[in-house]
Amino acid sequence: MILIWLILIPLMGGLLAWLFSRGNDRLPRWISLIALIIDFILVLLLWMQYPERAGLTNRSWLVDINLEWIPRLGISFHLALDGLSLLLVMLTSFLGIMSVAASWTEIKERVGFFHFNLMWSLAGITGVFLSLDLFLFYFFWELMLVPMYFLIALWGHENRISAAVKFFLFTQLSGLLMLAAILGLYFVHARGTGIYTFDYTQLLGTTMGSTEGMLLMLGFLIAFVVKLPAVPFHTWLPDAHTEAPTAGSIILAGLLLKTGAYGLLRFAVPLFPHAALDFTPVAMALAVIGILYGAVLAFGQTDLKRLVAYTSVSHMGFVLLGIFAWNELALQGAVIQIICHGISTGALFIIVGALQERIHTRDMERMGGLWTSAPRMGGVGLLFGLASLGLPGLGNFVGEFLVLIGAYTVSIPMTAIAATGLVFATVYSLWMIQRTFFGPREVYLKVPDLNMREMTVMAFMVAVIVWIGLYPQPVINTAKGALNALQKNAGAMTSFGKISYPVSTGADRDTK
Amino acid sequence: MTLNDLAPLIPLMVIAVSSVIIMLGIAFYRSRAFSGLLTLAGIAVAFITLFGVQGTRQVTSLLILDDYALFYIGLILAASFVVALLSSDYLEGRRENIEEFYILLLLSTLGSSVLAASTHFVSFFIGLEILSVSLYALIAYTRNELNIEAGVKYLVLAAASSAFLLFGIALLYGETGTMEFSRMSSGISAQGINKGMLLTGFALVLTGVGFKLAVAPFHMWTPDVYEGAPAPVTAFVATVSKGGVFALLLRYFIQVDMHAYPSLFGAVAFIAVASMFAGNLLALLQKNIKRILAYSSIAHLGYLLVAFLAGGVMRVTAVTFYLVAYFITTLGAFGVVTMLSGKERDADAVEDYQGLFRHRPWLALIFSAMLFSLAGIPLTAGFIGKFYIVAAGAGSALWLLVIMLVINSAIGLYYYLRIIVVLYAQPGHSEVSAVSSLPLTGSLVLVLLTVLLLWLGVYPEPLIEMIHRMTMRF
Amino acid sequence: MIPLHWYLWLSAVVFMVGVAGFLMRRNIIIMFMSIELMLNAVNISLVSFSRYLDDMRGQILVFFIIAVAAAEAAIGLGIIIALFRNKVTAHVDEANEMKG
Repeated sequence: MILIWLILIPLMGGLLAWLFSRGNDRLPRWISLIALIIDFILVLLLWMQYPERAGLTNRSWLVDINLEWIPRLGISFHLALDGLSLLLVMLTSFLGIMSVAASWTEIKERVGFFHFNLMWSLAGITGVFLSLDLFLFYFFWELMLVPMYFLIALWGHENRISAAVKFFLFTQLSGLLMLAAILGLYFVHARGTGIYTFDYTQLLGTTMGSTEGMLLMLGFLIAFVVKLPAVPFHTWLPDAHTEAPTAGSIILAGLLLKTGAYGLLRFAVPLFPHAALDFTPVAMALAVIGILYGAVLAFGQTDLKRLVAYTSVSHMGFVLLGIFAWNELALQGAVIQIICHGISTGALFIIVGALQERIHTRDMERMGGLWTSAPRMGGVGLLFGLASLGLPGLGNFVGEFLVLIGAYTVSIPMTAIAATGLVFATVYSLWMIQRTFFGPREVYLKVPDLNMREMTVMAFMVAVIVWIGLYPQPVINTAKGALNALQKNAGAMTSFGKISYPVSTGADRDTK
Repeated sequence: MTLNDLAPLIPLMVIAVSSVIIMLGIAFYRSRAFSGLLTLAGIAVAFITLFGVQGTRQVTSLLILDDYALFYIGLILAASFVVALLSSDYLEGRRENIEEFYILLLLSTLGSSVLAASTHFVSFFIGLEILSVSLYALIAYTRNELNIEAGVKYLVLAAASSAFLLFGIALLYGETGTMEFSRMSSGISAQGINKGMLLTGFALVLTGVGFKLAVAPFHMWTPDVYEGAPAPVTAFVATVSKGGVFALLLRYFIQVDMHAYPSLFGAVAFIAVASMFAGNLLALLQKNIKRILAYSSIAHLGYLLVAFLAGGVMRVTAVTFYLVAYFITTLGAFGVVTMLSGKERDADAVEDYQGLFRHRPWLALIFSAMLFSLAGIPLTAGFIGKFYIVAAGAGSALWLLVIMLVINSAIGLYYYLRIIVVLYAQPGHSEVSAVSSLPLTGSLVLVLLTVLLLWLGVYPEPLIEMIHRMTMRF
Repeated sequence: MIPLHWYLWLSAVVFMVGVAGFLMRRNIIIMFMSIELMLNAVNISLVSFSRYLDDMRGQILVFFIIAVAAAEAAIGLGIIIALFRNKVTAHVDEANEMKG
């Protein structure tokens, strides 16, 4: 039941925020904030009860709810939570709170409707992380896009309409391909067993021909890598990120991209292990290309928001690399990278949003020397810039490092090339900080520094990224059970995962 | 043949009789409200009598009132009920003597219902003509320039298409020696059949039906008629007239197993793909809401044909569910157009909708819900419908068609989104949006349709079960 | 007895004449007449099939067609008169307000 509440609370919060928005701009903000905080507390409570937090059990599903929905077609309302979804749902409500707080003064028009859209897209994302029925998954997958579209199209910047349409078309088209693949799997499974079902747990281990499996896997994969995004499906991302309002950018970068990674982890690989194994070289190559391409293009940007957007392409390349390396270290790395990228990029977008609110431009040519007038903003910006380049002690380092170690056991050349991405990251991150906060002082002599509200937001984000950077063990423990289960599902049928050497993570030591 | 054998026809008779009563009533007492109420009562009574149909359902060899027919007749009646409600306020003040509108409405409903129950070429033809002849007059009813132009175009093309259809019927009759659908397939498998003649016959029948359904390449009349006809009539043309014809097409091609004729299958597949592309691509170029909806309906019929081509258990359920969703959505969308229309012209320019969300938030929301349903976005009936169609297509391994459908869905999104963005933009300057107050009945109908739309989008199980039960025989 | 296919040829030719007239003439009354021609071609083939199959149903359909054609003509002429009132023409190309 708690899982349904996790989705219902933002849905109802959004509705209430909208209903109470007549002539009152403050109420919707508070309603959304409170709803999300309740949501976050619920997840936190769940996590506290979760014995695997300390690495105690290996049980896969922590909470599981399965209701009939459309039995005629074998569709059920099946939600379940394991360590992986728990972490991602936690991230969702956390970033949700941050994005409401960050857009507190940015949004002045149609405040109620804005929060309605924000909350509904968060609810959709939560649903994606929790569904175990493929139909339900597709349902939420599509559902989260519509409010996101409105967020970009109505409250975005200059070229918002075209960016929103591009975003929507890319994701919808790929989503429809996934629908076709889901149905393909549904019928293949029925052909083999006579049971028509969309239930994930039953569809695992469906036997199919290799071409068939490859085609179906590609249907899933395309939807997920468009979201992720991997080269060459990334072209929607810079536009959408740049044009979206701050809250929209946070959700896009911090959460929406993660649904792609989650889909790969949960569905694309475990459902089609053979095909995924065959596809590994291509996927890893795409990942490495993405890492380098994103980094190089980030370096070429003058629009600050666009720069951050391209760094996402680069960072998500690591996630893709980690997922397709498919050994425990790499997967753990991918999960940590997912969380840390969500937080660090979210924070960078908040800073860019705050800057834009103050100086009305995102053009780095017109910035510079902001440190003197806004040292707090500069400090936080520097910290997240460093996080983005992978400085040890901050969360992203842990993620990227684990991914690289994991990938090393699979393909040394790929890993070597991917590692050079870190060098590029150093260059563009420092360059970005240098251009904005240091360097020659431009016209903006007096820029108000971050205020209390913004500092509170930043404090939370800094705390999390430093915490994961210094002590990632709780995260690793939480994800461990889920990742092991995923590996077992995929590895039972192929040599997948056997490529790697059994490497002990801290979790083993804790339990023994 | 006793009177008892005619008992299943009571729903159809009720409609026919109510149209006669209204006609006589007008002679004594002219009142729009009175005729309107009689119409609604007639449709309601006919709807109720649907539940009383029992016993032998086959009435002569012409008509069968099986569950399938009853379901479609129910759907048709419900849709014309909605159209009657929507048109009541719309017609006021547009011309004198508006009472006859209801007679025509009832008659075309009757024609469409007959189609849904036909098992014979003769009843097919008669149903079709009752439907079309009343539609000619309905389309031109308010007698402004656009109406009449639309009426003339529809008249000329529909009459010509009937001629093609009849020629096809004649050829099929000559080859198989029967006009009954159920005996046709045994007639076909008999010795000495001229295959060419048979296929020509099928092709001609398909042409006639294709024209009524407005599928490419027989769709040319659609945008003009949609634009020119009064908004409630457009809703009627888009739903009731197509629904009956589609019901018949489905019945016919299930009884005469279409999959036995690869060339026929290919022709329908071509029509499906052509309709999807023609509808969606041409819709991109339009600036008139009614024309956009016209092209979108062409595309939607293309989607329907994909499920139609699929074999297996899912076909009838998928097609029927999609049609229900399509009915609700189309009625809702044209309902919004009807409500916003001023007396001079219909609210059909995209600019008329600019910033609608500001001054009529509820109407804008309803319209967005309808457009989302057309686009197949979750929480709406259109989503489940599209899902069902893709499922039916995938179930029969019609991958090429499914991929085409997917591509077209994406193209379609583009123009639906364009309208939706306009709804939420800054208000422009349009006299249409300044209509003083919205009529109550119309608003209630729209709210009801939206509730239905969302209900079917979230919990479609009862309807799916019902459709499945009603169409099981196929 | 005259073989069936002679009738069918006649019917096909008349039908094609009707189609040609429908496509080429722009006067709406003439177009309407062409449609009547097509319907009558259908009637010819129906009657001949009916005779050939020794089955009355074809001929019954013919009666229906004749009746419906009359109804169609009645409504059609009504609309054409309305068009004429508005435009003082029976030329279809004059009815061209809607494009796109």
